[in-house]
Order: sequence, then C-alpha cells, then structure tokens
Amino acid sequence: MEQQKDGRCGLGHLPSPAPMAYPYVPYQRENPPKYEARKGLVRGTLFPGLDLPFMGMVNRQEKPVTPKTELQALGFAVQELTLYLDTHPGDREALELLRSYQRLYRQCQAEYAEKYGPLNNTDGTNAREYRWLDDPWPWEFAANKEA
Amino acid sequence: MFIYDKKLEYPVRIRRPNPRLAAMIITQYGGPDGELGASLRYLSQRYSMPFDDQRALLTDIGTEELGHLEMIGAIVHQLTRNLKTKDIENSMLAPYFVDHTVGVYPAAASGFPYTAASMEVKGDPIADLTEDLAAEGAPAQEQPTVGALLRRL
Repeated sequence: MEQQKDGRCGLGHLPSPAPMAYPYVPYQRENPPKYEARKGLVRGTLFPGLDLPFMGMVNRQEKPVTPKTELQALGFAVQELTLYLDTHPGDREALELLRSYQRLYRQCQAEYAEKYGPLNNTDGTNAREYRWLDDPWPWEFAANKEA
Repeated sequence: MFIYDKKLEYPVRIRRPNPRLAAMIITQYGGPDGELGASLRYLSQRYSMPFDDQRALLTDIGTEELGHLEMIGAIVHQLTRNLKTKDIENSMLAPYFVDHTVGVYPAAASGFPYTAASMEVKGDPIADLTEDLAAEGAPAQEQPTVGALLRRL
C-alpha cells in the first residue's frame, strides 16, 4: 500500500505488511542463579536474571555489616524466595534455600530483639522494661546509621 | 492479619534534606502510581483471583508494597528534616507545606490527595492482571522523569 504524506497507511500508522505485535514474555525458569543475601539487598533482587539497572546506575556498595542490615538482608532473601516459590512451588532447591534463610532470620531476630528491643509484638525478651517505645523508630535518620 | 516489624525493608539514610525532591517523591507515596495504590490494588484484587499461586502472589506482593510505602514515607520525612523558612519559601514544597507542614500526607506531586480512582479491581483475573502490568509499567516512566527533572531544575 502506498504511504500517505502524513506517514499513515490505511487505518493505522504502519504500512499494511507490518504484522500484529508479538509479545515475548520470558518466564523465570526453575533453579535460576541467585545472589547471596547481602548482595541481593543492595541490588533490589535476589535473582541476577531479574536485575535491571535503574537508568544505568548499579548499586555495588553492600551495606556495612550491622545486626540490622543482617536482618534486612536475610529478610529480603526470604521475601524474594517466597515470591519466587509462589509461582515455582516445585523447585526443591529454592525451597531448601528459603528454609535455611528462614532459620538464619529467626536466629538473627532473636539476637536482635535481646539487644535492641522487640522487632515485633511476638518477640519476648528478657528485659524488665517495656522496650517497644524505645527510640529511634525505623524512619528516623538515626535509626539507619551505617556503623 | 498484619504484624508490624520495627525495621525498614531497606535502610533510608538521607544526609542532606531537600524540599524540592520531597515535593516530587511524595507522589510515590500517595500519587496515582504510588506504593499506597500498589498495595491496595494487590491486596484488594486477591479475593477474586481463582488460582492459589495468584492469591499467594498478590498477598505477598501487596504486603511488600506496604513496606515500600514505609520507605517512601521515611524518605520524605528525612528530606524535610530541619528545614529553615527560606528553604521552604522558594521551593516546590511551599504549597504542600501550607497544608501539611512536614507531615507525610498521601498525595500526588500535583497536590491531588490519594484516590482509589487511580486503580481498578474488576473481579476478572485477566482484567486485573492486565491492570497490574500497566501499574508496574508506570513507575518505569515516572522514575526517570523525576531523575531528569532533578538534573535540570
């Protein structure tokens, strides 16, 4: 079909031989490669296959190791593997990995609560005082210290 | 049931407050493509999803979005720390400040308060999942826009 002056052809904006769009949606395969938890936290995904740099920027700097960043890294790994297993429930290896991260998380949470106060209202600690009120709350600058 | 964990999903530590950036980032809190809308969208769509993997995924992602909401709140909160009058007077934050001072209020960058009219729950899995794809695509446009504005302003 001959193209008109404004670039239109027929009813659409493409020449008539142009095919309909074919969408390609790659599925995340079973047993995909995974980052280690601390790297996953700063890359925003546990899966290298899903790691799309934002505007070409890559966060290479891992967070300094503190009890809180340890908890955040393990919690993020648990979250990521949960989402993955929601759609890949048959992946035994991922399930094993989830369970090992869950064990580490529970351990880490108990130690954290003993030292800094409860993380949530199911944490029992040996402190005499009611420590839920203790500053700083998570959104404060001071709660996110790097050292 | 939800239990609150007294930690952010990812640390937020902003050394230099920036009211102009706060006035834009607030849209990720309560704007049309913000985290509040995302969590409500997923947590509301799950009731009519017919398959267990979808129900699980919407529940788990919707919950994580609430964690994102908290991080955005922390970002806005820290961006508006210790501001002086002159920091606010001549910044894009001034109109927001008139109504909310440095409280974190769910609104779009344009000032429009959060509205569920920016999301959809259709009760039809294909319609809802298609809506989710569109919603996840929106920040891919929005975030570079904020980035570009910041460089130019």
